[in-house]
Amino acid sequence: METSDNMENTEKKKLTAENLILIIAGAFILVFLAYYSIMMSMGPAKKLKEIEAGYGVKHDSEEKTDERLFTDSAYVSMLKEKSFLQSKITMAGTDSIYMTLNIPDSTAHLEIAGVSVHSVRISGMKISKILRTGNNYAIQTMLASPMTIVNYIATIKKEPLMIKMAPKDTSEFKPDVTPDTSDYEPVNYILDMDNGLRIFVYQEVADSANSDRNSLFFFDLNDRLKTTWQSIKSVAVLKVPEYHPYIKIRVPKADAKILYRAIPRKGQIAVYI
Amino acid sequence: MINLKENKVLRIILRTLVPLAALLFVFIFVIYIVPGLQEMKGVRKTVLTNDPELKKDPVYKKQTAQLTRDIQRMSKKYASFTSGQSYIVINTTDNRFFLYKNKKLIREGFCSSGSYTMLKTEGERKWIFKTPKGKYWIQGKITSPVWRRPDWAFVEEGLPIPPENDPSRYEYGVLGDYAMSIGDGYLIHGTLYKRFLGMPVTHGCVRLNDEDLEAIYNTLSIGSKVYIF
Repeated sequence: METSDNMENTEKKKLTAENLILIIAGAFILVFLAYYSIMMSMGPAKKLKEIEAGYGVKHDSEEKTDERLFTDSAYVSMLKEKSFLQSKITMAGTDSIYMTLNIPDSTAHLEIAGVSVHSVRISGMKISKILRTGNNYAIQTMLASPMTIVNYIATIKKEPLMIKMAPKDTSEFKPDVTPDTSDYEPVNYILDMDNGLRIFVYQEVADSANSDRNSLFFFDLNDRLKTTWQSIKSVAVLKVPEYHPYIKIRVPKADAKILYRAIPRKGQIAVYI
Repeated sequence: MINLKENKVLRIILRTLVPLAALLFVFIFVIYIVPGLQEMKGVRKTVLTNDPELKKDPVYKKQTAQLTRDIQRMSKKYASFTSGQSYIVINTTDNRFFLYKNKKLIREGFCSSGSYTMLKTEGERKWIFKTPKGKYWIQGKITSPVWRRPDWAFVEEGLPIPPENDPSRYEYGVLGDYAMSIGDGYLIHGTLYKRFLGMPVTHGCVRLNDEDLEAIYNTLSIGSKVYIF
């Protein structure tokens, strides 16, 4: 009887210790989540400050800008138009292929030296709040200079190169057969721009296309995991994680492929918001 | 006794499930909810008041007049980039061409462009068969072109490479009736392999069917722009 009581007591103590560990771990996780959320929510404001510092009204410059002008929608609208044109003219000066995104018109264009060579209808889009409601002057000035792609992640190859070994003699030679042009690969990609903006291009997904939907889910999850890991690393050293304003667009699969394959690796993009 | 056993099982299940559920919550919170919260939190914005008094202000009038002039000047400049002369656009992803005259599309159809094949020899020589992208122009127009086979044409078939001007290098009638050069050895020409039109099969040149080739040859002149993407 005594032995049984001892066993029960030991088990109770063990349970209490386990509970204590669980409570401490839970509390630690909750504190971390709260801290992480606070640090993350400071990201957009920090980014906006950076944009304003780099592109906003310079109060110490000799040429004074009347800030009241930015409260007038007609003036802001003209400013946007001018910024977009300015970007396009700069890019047209090169012989390279570039992309223009016209958000109000829901169109994307591929252009070469000022000539539109391909137009795409955007069927869906999502834009960072910072770009829609931030300081208009600073945002427009930032967009006035063309953005350059610094990095990209994609589900398809930029150049689908096939390697073929030359035959040693005519007996080894096989004439080319019809190439495989089947279009089964999902087309989703992310373009990281030099000013911190991220452009997500997703293919349209038909209701029946489960594999395409799954592919997009894992592509998106993979990017979220990478971004979260970077944020956790920043938070761990008491730094506000870097916030990247984004533009997410959904276009037909064929067009998504054309845009991706046409834009050079360090290609340029102009955005009209 | 049974009750005690049941309790133990329940406790074990709870102790496994609760941490798992907590982990899942943390994962979803960090990956999806926090980025969503970032977008919900308001950032300082410029409020558009559209004050009628401001519109009467001379500074406003001066600034908007300046902006209007700038926009008109820039729009004019940008429109001038698109030539009123004939030009051709080649889409190498879909293998299609678009012929324009006076800024209007006058003909479109299939073509064949580079196959994106890398031909390698054991001796480290290699060639990449792709159509160059960007802005080009017609540098030369030829009727009844003759194909001078480059080294890769022999290597590809396992044949020995002949000397520079060997007669075996010249092939007649394989490029169609016309060819237009866009520089660096790249041509827009005809083909015997019409069943491959619309597919990426060439060594870098752009192939067309006979009718399209003739129409393009007759529309474009030397200096006409060729836009390839």
